[in-house]
This record gives sequence, C-alpha cells and structure tokens, in this order.
Amino acid sequence: MLKRTLATLVILAVVVIGAFAVYAWHGELAPMAASERPDFDAATVEQGRVLAAAGYCATCHTAQGGEPYAGNYPVVSDFGTIYASNITPDPDTGIGDWSPEAFRRAMHEGVDRQGRHLFPAFPYDHFTKLSNQDVDALYAYLMSEVEPVKQETRASTLPFPLNQRFLQAGWKLLFVDVGRYQPDPDKSDAWNRGAYLAEGISHCGACHTPRNALGAEKGGERYAGATIDRWVAPALTADNPSGVPWSAAAFTTYLKLGADRYHGVAAGPMGPVVHGGVAELSDDDLTALGVYLADVTGATDGEAPADNAALTASIAAGKPRRDWRREQGERLYASACAACHYNATPEGVTVTRPDLGINSATRLDDPANLIHVMLDGVPASEGSHGVVMPAFRSALNDDQIAAIAAYLRATRTDLPPWPDLPARVSELRAHVGTH
Amino acid sequence: MIECTINGETVRLDADPDMPLLWALRDLAGLTGTKFGCGIGLCGACTVHVGGRATRSCITPLKDVAGADITTIEGLDADGAHPLQQAWRDLQVPQCGYCQSGQIMQAAALLKDMPNPSDEDIDAVMTGNLCRCMTYPRIRGAIRDAAAAMKEASAHG
Amino acid sequence: MDEQRLSADDRTDTPRLSRRSFLVSMCAAGAVFGFPRAGLAAMNPAAADGQPLEAVGDRFEPTLWYWIDSQGRVNVNVIRAEMGQHVGTAIARILADELGARWQDVHIDHVDSDPKWGTMVTGGSWSVWQSWPVYRRAGAAGRTALAEKAAALWGVSADAVTVADGQVSAGDRSIGFGELVQKGLDRQFSQDELKALPLKSHDELTLLGRNLKALDIDTKTNGQAIYGIDAQVEGMVHAVPILPPTRYDCAITNIDDSAAKDIKGYQQTLELEDPSGTAPGWAMVIADNHWAALKASRQIKVSYNTGDATEVGEAEIQAENRRLVDDTGTGAIMDTGDNGDVDATFADAADTFQADYTTQTVLHFQLEPVNALVFRNDDGLWEVHTGNQWQSLCLPWLQKALGVKEDQVVMRTYMLGGGFGRRLNGDYAIPAALASKALGGKPVKMILTRADDSHFDSVRPPTLSRLRMAFDADNKVVGMDSAVASGWPTKVMIPGFMPKGTNGEPYDPFSSDGIDHWYGVGAQRARAISNELAEHTFRPGWLRSVSPGWINFAVESFMDEAARYIGADPVQFRLDHFKAEGRNAGQAPNSVGGARRQAAVLKRVAELSGHGRDDLPADSAVGIATTYGQSRSMPTWVGGAVHLSVDRESGRVEVHKIWLVVDCGTVVDPDGARAQVEGSALWGLSMALYEGTEFKNGRVVDSNLDSYGPLRMIDAPEIEIELVESTEVPVGLGEPGTTVVAPAIANGIQAAVGARLRHLPITPAAVREALQSGSA
Ligand code: FES
Ligand code: FES
Repeated sequence: MLKRTLATLVILAVVVIGAFAVYAWHGELAPMAASERPDFDAATVEQGRVLAAAGYCATCHTAQGGEPYAGNYPVVSDFGTIYASNITPDPDTGIGDWSPEAFRRAMHEGVDRQGRHLFPAFPYDHFTKLSNQDVDALYAYLMSEVEPVKQETRASTLPFPLNQRFLQAGWKLLFVDVGRYQPDPDKSDAWNRGAYLAEGISHCGACHTPRNALGAEKGGERYAGATIDRWVAPALTADNPSGVPWSAAAFTTYLKLGADRYHGVAAGPMGPVVHGGVAELSDDDLTALGVYLADVTGATDGEAPADNAALTASIAAGKPRRDWRREQGERLYASACAACHYNATPEGVTVTRPDLGINSATRLDDPANLIHVMLDGVPASEGSHGVVMPAFRSALNDDQIAAIAAYLRATRTDLPPWPDLPARVSELRAHVGTH
Repeated sequence: MIECTINGETVRLDADPDMPLLWALRDLAGLTGTKFGCGIGLCGACTVHVGGRATRSCITPLKDVAGADITTIEGLDADGAHPLQQAWRDLQVPQCGYCQSGQIMQAAALLKDMPNPSDEDIDAVMTGNLCRCMTYPRIRGAIRDAAAAMKEASAHG
Repeated sequence: MDEQRLSADDRTDTPRLSRRSFLVSMCAAGAVFGFPRAGLAAMNPAAADGQPLEAVGDRFEPTLWYWIDSQGRVNVNVIRAEMGQHVGTAIARILADELGARWQDVHIDHVDSDPKWGTMVTGGSWSVWQSWPVYRRAGAAGRTALAEKAAALWGVSADAVTVADGQVSAGDRSIGFGELVQKGLDRQFSQDELKALPLKSHDELTLLGRNLKALDIDTKTNGQAIYGIDAQVEGMVHAVPILPPTRYDCAITNIDDSAAKDIKGYQQTLELEDPSGTAPGWAMVIADNHWAALKASRQIKVSYNTGDATEVGEAEIQAENRRLVDDTGTGAIMDTGDNGDVDATFADAADTFQADYTTQTVLHFQLEPVNALVFRNDDGLWEVHTGNQWQSLCLPWLQKALGVKEDQVVMRTYMLGGGFGRRLNGDYAIPAALASKALGGKPVKMILTRADDSHFDSVRPPTLSRLRMAFDADNKVVGMDSAVASGWPTKVMIPGFMPKGTNGEPYDPFSSDGIDHWYGVGAQRARAISNELAEHTFRPGWLRSVSPGWINFAVESFMDEAARYIGADPVQFRLDHFKAEGRNAGQAPNSVGGARRQAAVLKRVAELSGHGRDDLPADSAVGIATTYGQSRSMPTWVGGAVHLSVDRESGRVEVHKIWLVVDCGTVVDPDGARAQVEGSALWGLSMALYEGTEFKNGRVVDSNLDSYGPLRMIDAPEIEIELVESTEVPVGLGEPGTTVVAPAIANGIQAAVGARLRHLPITPAAVREALQSGSA
C-alpha cells in the first residue's frame, strides 16, 4: 500500500516538474541595438516621468549616494538581501539594449530580457495591471531622460535554493495573477482610476498588505497592515488606527503634501512614497487615489474634528499640568515635545502642529513608528515638506524614549500599554533606517 | 555639500552631514546668535526656524535640512524690530540674555500658530525653553504684549 | 566679618589674594598694560560687534573710570562682569547722576583685566554696593572740573555754575560737555581731593530710582550680544575635553584615538600637564571645528589610574558632615559677640530644642556651558577670552598653570551666559590655556559639553546644619548653639580670604554666613566646619546666595519649629527676638538699623500675604521666613511669604504665590531690582522643590536636563515684590531673594499639613513619607 502510494507520488512529481519546467522557461528576447531605439514624443516621456515617480522607481533602484536608477539599492528580507537592478539605459549593465517588448515582459510578467525570472522584490505582481501604454511611457522616460550608468548589479545574498531564479516561476504560479487591470463597472470612474493607480503603479499593497511565509501578499488580508524596514505600514482597512478616520480628501492631501492635518506626516518608508513619488501625480489622479483608498478603508466623510472623541480627549490630556514633573515621560514630553505638539483646540491642529493622540504612530499595536521618529526625526525632504522634526537619538536614552512613548500611549489613547518598550527602543536604535 | 537657505541667502555647506545645524550655523555660517545650552533638545537655547517652525538645532543634523529654509534670530526681522523683540525690550526681559534668542524664536512660532495665546498656551509651548535667570514672568508678559501689538497692527493694517 | 580678623594666611601654595587687598584695591592704580589691539581690550555691550566707543576729538578723563569726548559722550569703564544684572547700566547711572550727564550720552565699556582697574570680582551681590562710593566720587570729580572750566571761561565763581543734563550753565549762559572738552580740560584729582569732593544729596539725584532702559538689552534681543562662547580669533582650533572619572586623583594611562582618525577635521588628542593641579587627568581633543572635536571625543578611549574619590557618594559626604558636627572639637568658632557661656546655659536650661537640616548637591547649570579661548598674542602675552566673574582670582591660577609671570596673562571678559557664582571660579580657563601652551600658543577655543560642565562644576556641596536652642523655665530663649558643615570653596580656591574664628581657626565666610543671624538669643555659639572628604572629592563652589541659601533654610525653619515647640506664634516669636540690641543694633554705613529693619520687612510681608489667615482651603497655608541676604557686613533685609498647598496623596507641593518685601537701602534701578528679586526668588523656589543631584562614585549623577530639572515657566507662580523706600547705602540684590523661599515653603508645609521637611530639595516622596511617618 505504502509502496504504491509512493510510486504514485513519484510519478506525479515527475509530471508536475516537467510541466513546471515548460511553464518556467522563458526565452531570451533579442537585444536591441542603439540604432533601433525608438523616438519618443515629449508627452509620452512626461507621462512616463510622472508614472516613474508614482511608482517611486528611483527609490528602490538608487543606492544611497549612488546615481539615479543605477541599482544596487539593498532590499533586505528575511531570506537575504537582494540588490535592485540597474535600469539606466546603459546597454551593458542596464536596460539600454532592451526593446519595448522586453521591458513590457519584465513589467507584466517579471521576466528580464534574457529570460530570467525576476525576484518578486520587484513588484511586477502589481505592475502587471498597468496598461501597455503606461508601460511604454515608463520605457520612454527611462530610455530618454535617465543618464546611462555603467554599474553591475550585485548578486543577491539569498541562500540556495532561493537564489535559483527558475524557482521564482513557482512563486509566480502560486501568487501572481498576471493580467491588466479590469475596471469595475459598478464603481465610478474616479474609483476605477484610483484603483488602477493604487493596485498598479503605486503598488500600495506591497507595503500595506501582510505577506505569507514565502513573501507573497496574503490574498485574504489585503491592506491589513504590515511591517516594512522595521516600520509599520498601517492597515488601510476598517482597522486603520488613526484617531480621526481618514476621508478621501485627507488621503488626497496626505499624498500630495506628505501630511494631513489629522493624520500626521509621511515619514520612514512612506516619506519617499510621497515626496519622491505620488505627489507628482495630477490633482485628478490624487483625488482618484483618495476616493479609492477611502473606500478600501471604509471611511466616511464629514465628522467635524471638534466632535471627534479621540481628538478632544487627546487635547484635553495635553493641557499643561502643574504636577507635570511627577512622571518621567510627561516631564520629558513637556520640555522636549510640547513646544511643537501642544494644541489648544481641535481646530488648532495643523499639518505642522500634529496632535500625537490621533496619530497612528501612537495608536498602532507596534510602537515602531513612534520610536523611529523620536530617534531619527523627520528630515525636511520628508513629512511636511521643508519642516524638520529633530532627532533625539543622541539626546535621550532608551528608557527616556520609552517613557515618552508610554506616557503618550497612556494619556492620549485608551489603548493597552506597549510591552517591553525600552527593549524595543534599543532594538530599533541598533538599526539605522535603510529607507 | 548641503544646500539650504539661511536668513534668505542660499548657502552651500561642505560639512559632515551629521553635524548638528547648531554648529553649522555657529562655526560655519558665523551666526552666533543661536546658542548652545544642553545639546539634547531640552533647553531651547538653540531654537531656530526651519520651514517657519521652531526647531532645536542642536539635535537637527545638517543632512535633514538640505533644501530647507532656515531663519535664525539674526534673520527674524531685518531691523531686529519684530513685535516680540520690541516687547522684550520694553519689558526688559533679558537678564544674562543667553536663552533669549531661543525664547524669542520659540515665541515667534507660538504666535504664528496661536495669535491669541492664553497663559496656559504660553506655559505649554514655552516650557521647553529654559531660562536659568528665571525671567519667566517677563517672558509671559512680553508674549502677551506682542500678541496685543500684532493684533492692533493687523487691525489697522 | 570684621576686617581686623582677616588673615593673610597663605599656608597652601594657592595663589595669593587676601580679602584686604580685595577691599582696598578698588581705588588702587597700577602699572598699565593690556591688549595691544584696543578693539579686543574692552567690550561695549550695546554695540553689535562689541567694539568700544572711540572718542571723537579731545577726550577728558577726570579719573580712570570714564572719559568725556568732544561730542559730550560719556564712556564709563565697568570692571564688573555682565551676567544679567545690567551692572554696567547701574554703575553708569550712579556716575552719570553725580556728574550731571544726559543719559542718552552715556555709554559703557566692559574692560579687560589690566591691573590699573584693581581687583576684579563680580559676586556676593557686591557690585552696586562697592561701586556706589567710587563712581559717585568719580562723577563728582568730572562735575567739579566742568564747572571750574566754565567758571573760568565766563569769569564767574564756580559756585554759580550748575551742571545738569549734559549742560553746564550759569545765569543764561550754557555750554555742553563736549564743547567744554574741546576747549581743553585736563584736570586730575588726587585720592585725597577725590575723597574731599562734596557729593549730591539724595534729592539732587535725578537718575536714581528712575526706570531707565538697560544699555545691554538690545543686543540680547537680536542675537548680537557676544558671550564667551562666541569669542573667536583668526586661526583658532577647537577643543573638547575628555574628563577623568573624578575631579582629582586620576592620571591618564593611555589614550587610544585610532577610532577617531578618520573623522574629518580631527587633528589630535593632547594629554594636559597641569602644574596648577586644577584639571588633572584631562585629555583635550583638537579639531578644525567644534563638531569634529566632539564627534572624535566620543570615539577616543582614555584609560586612567583612579583614586579614592571614585568610592565617595552623597551618603558618605553627609555622614562625614554628621561626624564633624557631632565632634564638638572641630571647626572655627565665629565671633557672635561676648554674650555668655553657651555650655553652661545649655546645662542649666529648663528645656532644649534641636534639629538637623540638610541640603543635597546643587548644580549651577548656568545656561552657557563653560568655555574659554586662549592664545599667545604677537607681543608674547597670553590672552584669555572668556566670561568670568573673578578675573583677579583666576589670573594667578593661570600664571601658575602657564608658568609665566604676573604681567604675562590678561583676560578679556565677555558677556556671561549666566554666572550664579560658577564663573567666580575660573578653573575652566586653565585647560584651554594648557592646550594652547601645548600647541605653542596657538589659539584654542574650548567648549565643554553640558554633561562635562556639570561634572566639572563647582557645585553647592551637600550640607548639614545643626541648631539647638535653650529655654528657661518660662520658655524664654536663653541660648543658641549652631554648627554648620560643608565643603569650603574659599579654602580651596583662595584661603587668604578666610578670617579666623575666636579659637584661631580660619573659616570660610561663604560657608557660614547666615548662622550669625540678627536674632537676640542669649548665649550664642556658631561653629563652622569644613568637610575635607567633600573637598578632596570635588571642588566645592560658590553658588548663588552661597551659604545663606542653605543656612537660612535651617535657621528660618528652626525659628518656626522652635516657636511651635513652645507654643508661640512663629511670626511673633521672631519679632520678639529682633531686639536690635548690642551687635544686632547695626552699624553705619551698611547695616544701619540692624534687626529693626529685619523686623520691619517681616511685619510687612506678614501683612501683605495675610499670614495666619484661616480662610484658606484645607491643606494649604501661607509660610513665612525672613533673612538678611548675604552677610552681616552688607545685609539686604528680606521678608518672604509663600502661599502653597500640599496634595497629601502624591506629596506634591504647589506654590501659588510668593511675596517678597525687600529693604536694600537706596534702590538705584527699580525695574532691575525687581528683575533680580524675581529671578532670585524663583531660584530659591527651584532649589527648594526641584533641584538637587547626588554624588555617586565621585561624580554627580545628573549632568543634563534629561534628569536635572530646574524650574521652568510652567512652574513659575505669581510673585509680588515690595521694595522698601530708603536712602541708606544701596546693598546687593542678586542673591537675597533666593534665601528666603525654601524656609518659607518648609514652614508653609508644616502649617498646611503638619509635616516638617528638613532636607532640600523637598520632593513629593519626602512629603509623603513625612506625612505617613506621623511627623505630621
Ligand atoms: S542646546 Fe538645543 S535644546 Fe538645548
Ligand atoms: S536670561 Fe539668562 S538664561 Fe534666560
């Protein structure tokens, strides 16, 4: 009995592997000579520039201090580090000899010109939704506006067998739904446009959807929130932790300015998403994104801030108290934070005077975002543009940062205290952000 | 090379990106009106404006202000005649004066956000600025006076 | 402290400077030398670049304290350091008033340490008190010269000439100061002539008591005031020290700077050799800019051989205080008048009452961390650019450290970002000087980090006061026996300044002022003891209000307790003992009226504050105390009251209002006086409730604002100040307000909830404990 079963399994395995090999194999597409490079019209190039921004391609394809799009940005995963490839139009080390078809295949199917499977750190699971026309625009932009840079892409540090590229095909088979975006006829045009952008080029789910053990977005938990570079990408569902619910308008403002009055600022990995990215989209597109995200989040418009219980409670708790010294966290908060974060009234809250009681950083189950921002601040290039939050890394020790976080959590929210805060601060302090 | 704007002038600073803005202002830009008190963001002596917001320059690395617009006490008002500076002089607020650049910069940011601050608002926002000479009663008074003067000016302007 | 008891004791190899020389040298003239570049020699705090005013045309210099130029501008030379008291304005006003100058014409210059200025010190709330006679005479000299000149010009008698508001007139003729100077004026005055000049009467003084705008205010509102930390010269390098684990007894065994080598701008690390013993075991990191030095200093590893001080903590120092106080054979017995046998009085007493009071280590935490810029100039002179309160004390130490002669070092004083006594001790200039010496006289600008400023601070040491009172069968006070122990700054830094007690032992007046109070208590003994364990662990310092800051806490808490002990009203009990008899009757010119004036301020503040009123909510009260400022030789009479409430559950004390009634003699500058009293009262509050650190392993535990918590705006209560109108000699104001607040609070707490707190600072935990332990 046992023998027979084994035999069946073996046969089955052989068949499957054979079939898989057929599936997994992709041919090389012919290199394109420089002379064959098409001419691009200015409008297409501009469209590509905006799309490249909205996909923050440069963020992942540029190493710190390196040339734009020349690759080698390290994408750190639990499995190992993958280095982003060079997508400048250099023919030897970049995509200079790629034809439009090769580029399209890469974007839509995750296979490079030579026919090798790309690691899914490259979110082709989202880009597959892009229209041919948008992909071509991206191609036009990269080929004509980006300076070619000769730079070999570093090999990944993935261990065997994960470093076997053909295995990526299995991953693809399991997790990727190859195909262009299909509009939902029941929804508005704006909603569909927003969905196209969010699910496609801007690949919001890549950060905001949790991943399974094999690193794929979990189908059943879309936008349920996830961890990225030791930051939390909050849930964009009904579980969103913001004290004041998001509205379509709030999303639009946030994505345009990097900050919204009642939702804090785009810091950490979200910083470049806005400032190196989606802020470039047209107002119509940003509005469409807002409409779609508001729907995903289940947001309703309209509550006046003065009526928001979380906000009014937080503001009341932030009033100066004569016995402010009694508790370390409150004492440090009053002298280090209140100058910028104190608010007299709900109406007084502004993008540059954020209220910390309604901010997701204070309300998430994981204090990582709050701790990161306290340690390293927010540069002028992120968050609310041109404004800086200073970095307390060298100023306060783990216990002190933890005390401020605990104080905020206890007084500004009605959520349970965070466990082991000092240890968490120490752990996050050890990793200087790579975003 | 880090480029930013200081008191309206574009400057390019060839310096360690980790150098706190405070020392870049004092040692590189020669603007010594911004003071060093604690170096850990808890005294306010080093307060400047970045993008119009009061910012503790001692814990703000230079790299974080790339492209930003910085104003120091020297640039708050071309003639040193910001309503707060006038109120400060009228009430003779400064004693040793060492904290006062920071106090004035913080107060200017306060009045921008809250043109009509209550005593509670003043206490909450200004408590981060230590005055070792303890000129607090006068700082409170001068902020109230400046707020009134600004209101008056805008009513007539 | 009387002058005949001064000692010129110079047992140690500490640089010499006696109190006598200090007191007489205000008027002395000496050899003239100074900075070769006039621009660096002095500083005009009203000018953006600090450049002193230059005389236009002729200039007339009736004494060394000022000149008048052909434009009639009066430029006053100020030898006091400006640290927030607007001292230059106060002094210039005294001079201008007597001279008859127009206030708009008056300018000030803070001068360098040229010996011609005599002793330079700014502390003890002495400035106005000491300057008053000197600058008035100087003003009178100018006025006389101007009047004589005009009289000669017009052919009238000098008596017919008046000098006022910058004009010299007789009948309908009038001429400005400037014009007279142009006509040639070179009248000089001998010391005797100066002393003989008639001074204006009080009602002839027109600037006095008026609110004038201080001359140093503008630049303190626009970032242009120049503090020591802003000093710079061409080609200077920046230095950040690495301090040893304890102040003394540490020697460097190894410096490893390999990890700093790659830091851009890092140059080298020096191991300092200090012949003066001020900064043993210091390494100095040298770099192109401050940040590079600081960053490098964090990477450099220094190893040390350490001494016993690493074993010493707050508890050991207090235990030593206690041991010394217990041992009646220790210390100096201060002269409290010849009034009976204390031991016999106590032996015969029907009842006695005793209590101990302690205070914890307090940091200066002046907001500008200490710093100095030192170099050897082209003339071979060592120039020290820094903010300092006691140039005359610092210079001998610098000479010793540099191994040069007296006329080889000169100090230029900048604005002080807070003094509070920290900069009386100029020790911080020495490591900068040593670093410059090691670099061949190259300019070295050293700035301490805040934490190092705290670790190197000359703190107010841990103190203990034990007070005993003897009563006869009728509960009449018949004797008082007090002992105070602490580390003595004066012994460490300037022993020649210590008078001798009646038992021949020298004592530090700044560690004992306060214990020789103005209460008539019968047989009285006051014993002052130095704690050598403290002195060997760190360098004790003079901190705003010095010993009256802690001894008055003890005395005024004790008077309250003693009154309660015998069932008397605390205010009445005090008034009953302000008998103003014998030595407590006061002495011209400084303490005219004596205890009578102290009684007056106490009565007035009791009235103002409604002391004893019974309509206050539960657990709140008005506490009261009275002090006489700094010392018997120049008392500033202060009555203080505090309205507070106590939260029994948390132990938190909230101060709602402070009242102060101050009699400081003539008020030269009413607004400035109020500012000083406001600031000092809040200092008192800060030290009463919020400030205190501890020694642990030979260094202070709290070194920055993350754990050290001076009073902030949110803590500042309402303050009501009344200045007593007086024509007596003006005395000091910078400190007296400090001394009265802590005892008023302790007394208020007892009145509110019955708990007696005998340790500063008064923490909520201590209040809770006192309430629970039933001291209530
Ligand atoms: S020096 Fe920056 S806050 Fe103190
Ligand atoms: S005026 Fe001296 S610290 Fe504020």
